[in-house]
Amino acid sequence: MINIIKPLRKTLHCLLVGLSVLWATISTAGTPVIEIRIKDHLFFPDTVPVPVDTKVKLLVINEDSTPEEFESYELNREKVIPGHHKAIIFIGPLPAGEYPFFGEFYPKTAQGKVVVTP
Amino acid sequence: MFLSSVVLILQEILEAALLVSLLLAFSRINNLRLYWMGGALCLGFAGALLLSLNMVAVSEWFDYVGQEVVNASLQLSITLLLTLLTLLYTLGSPATLRWLPLCMVLSVACALTREGSEVFIYIQGALSQPPHVRPTLTGAGIGAGIGISAGVLLYYGLLGLPRHWVVPSCLLLMAMIAGNMAAQAAMLLIQADWLPYSLVIWDSSGWLPENSITGHLLYALIGYEATPSLLQALAYGAGILSVALAWHVGRIRRTTAS
Repeated sequence: MINIIKPLRKTLHCLLVGLSVLWATISTAGTPVIEIRIKDHLFFPDTVPVPVDTKVKLLVINEDSTPEEFESYELNREKVIPGHHKAIIFIGPLPAGEYPFFGEFYPKTAQGKVVVTP
Repeated sequence: MFLSSVVLILQEILEAALLVSLLLAFSRINNLRLYWMGGALCLGFAGALLLSLNMVAVSEWFDYVGQEVVNASLQLSITLLLTLLTLLYTLGSPATLRWLPLCMVLSVACALTREGSEVFIYIQGALSQPPHVRPTLTGAGIGAGIGISAGVLLYYGLLGLPRHWVVPSCLLLMAMIAGNMAAQAAMLLIQADWLPYSLVIWDSSGWLPENSITGHLLYALIGYEATPSLLQALAYGAGILSVALAWHVGRIRRTTAS
């Protein structure tokens, strides 16, 4: 049984990754990418400038060995990022203003904000 | 670590606890046996474990938005299952009523898979850091305790209502949970860029912030959002409407049949 499940899982994984690459190429071409790193339960940078009325793709790279959850009430976003892994979160287009975000697993230290300016 | 653990676990547990209590009260008032809960807990636990263990692979699907797609699918499944449950219940024939436990098992299992997987990932991360183990586990225990207590309160609160109000109240709450799940699924699909961005239709964060205790409770119970987008609100309305429609269709069919 295990002999069947393993290749099936692999095939499904490959298929979904393949589909996803195709999807990404079609749907998000031209969206600016902004990189945020998590290290020692801190965000780098902790202030993320974003142009007004522009959709951006946040590439959040977790350099810690522990997972973190990117969360923002103001941006209506939440996403778990496993340790030593990365995640993509789309935000905007947003009006000018400040949008705080935090790491829900380590909220004391993992704090940051998206600053949208014209 | 302690306080953040309490808040995080409470948030995750609350939503599932309220759904469980609501369905238990619904079963009790309709004299359904409660054995389905055992199946739902086992299936939900297994689902949460499976999802948390495969989170790295799932996160990579669909160009790193697999997490959103899987979670939104689970939430939309809950909306559909609550709609189906309402329809089967309102139709009221023995042939339809016998499917109610299966609908309840699957909807609770989906809720537990979604919420439980985050709890497992969080606890697993904390366990890898010895100084965090004790405060995290104590906080998790207290958070789970408060969440389950809120569920128990809702259960006895519903059953304490005058008898003829219990089923309508359960159906109303089911409609709200269906709307809440649809709205959360919409939010995740917007985050994944599978649905387009839409304007924020109101901002009530000034007088009722989402991160307040009342905000968390209302979020879990009726899907309160301080800054919802138009699409989220439409999805919420569609979720409520689907349960209302199921109730209406069921009643008409039942009247016609009798």
